[in-house]
Amino acid sequence: MDPGGGRPATQSPPIRIYLIGMTEMTLAAIDELAIQRAKTGDLTALERVFRAYETTVYTVARRICRTEEDAEDVLQETFLEVCHSVRRFRGTASGSLTAWIKRIAASKALMRIRAEKYRETDDLNEEGVAAGWRDGDVGLRMDLETALAQLSDTARAVVWLHDVEGYTHEEIAELMEKTVSFSKSQLSRAHTRMRRLLGEEA
Amino acid sequence: MLRHCTMGELLEVRDRRGSVGARAHLEECAACRDELDRLHQRTAGLRALPSVTPPRDRWEVVRAAAVAARRRRWNRRLTVAGLAAAAVAVLAVGLPIVSGGPVGVDVVTEDPSVEIETLAGQSRHLESVLVEVGRQPRVVNGMTASVIADLEDRIAWVDAGLEQAHTASATPREMADLWHQRVVLMNALVNAHVRQVGYEGF
Repeated sequence: MDPGGGRPATQSPPIRIYLIGMTEMTLAAIDELAIQRAKTGDLTALERVFRAYETTVYTVARRICRTEEDAEDVLQETFLEVCHSVRRFRGTASGSLTAWIKRIAASKALMRIRAEKYRETDDLNEEGVAAGWRDGDVGLRMDLETALAQLSDTARAVVWLHDVEGYTHEEIAELMEKTVSFSKSQLSRAHTRMRRLLGEEA
Repeated sequence: MLRHCTMGELLEVRDRRGSVGARAHLEECAACRDELDRLHQRTAGLRALPSVTPPRDRWEVVRAAAVAARRRRWNRRLTVAGLAAAAVAVLAVGLPIVSGGPVGVDVVTEDPSVEIETLAGQSRHLESVLVEVGRQPRVVNGMTASVIADLEDRIAWVDAGLEQAHTASATPREMADLWHQRVVLMNALVNAHVRQVGYEGF
């Protein structure tokens, strides 16, 4: 019996592409209509923007911040900033709102990890002691998400912003108020460390 | 290049900025090519990590904070506008339009419901004054027109707030605060109109 109900197997990819297209259209529609209303301070429109971007913002925040609570605070601070500054937002392209909101989120998350309380944890994590991991332990291979979490806050932020969000080293340096060399060296050290944590060493 | 590529060099190659030496070495060195492959896989793995959904809905907190921030901004502006309006009101003394009764905005009582009733009455009175002023022949200059439009926008916002407060079952104190803002704005609006009529009279 044909599990596909007689449909040729080749039908699946076009359906998926169509659904992805619909999602993008929905986001674009939210951008154009909601931004104009949000700019006037319309709370319903601002809520639509919040709903459209809360997961995106929380993901950036959660990947950069160490704790769930900090990421939630970053989510809240980001959207408060969006509510306050959306009047001054000048972008018109559908992707520009996403980039603008993500940049606010990244900035807020970086401000948070710069806070005094993280310094001690940073040092510990750099040595791989914080969660009881030792890079050389035999049989202790972890998944990528856990390896990412084992990096220092700064290194993790650089990896996420550069390799996933597509920020350049220049942009990261500006956000972090550091040099381009600092960003490059953090990325290099982070990958060297992840390689060890993932047991990828030759 | 006689040595293996460093992680930094591999990252440069991955980002299509690798040096000629590093690229030439990769052509000849299988170990470095494997390392570059692993780097690509790691990057792809990072990009494929799932989105993270916020554990709690933070919109109500964001909304409340945004409304409070907006109220603070309005109050600051109104303090300035109120001082300007008070100075302008001196010019309007003697005009029959404002002789319909005193309008005070400093109505604060122990019982918010009494306060709401008084403020709503003042608001109605100011509306009727505004209608009277609107009947006077006048020419509105650009600056005054802009002030009037701004005040009308803000009044519309307070009205929207009052409507939402009804549906959201706001406390009497919150309602009284909104009515207070409305009266202050209406007062400023009447003064802006009266000033224009006063100029016409001179």
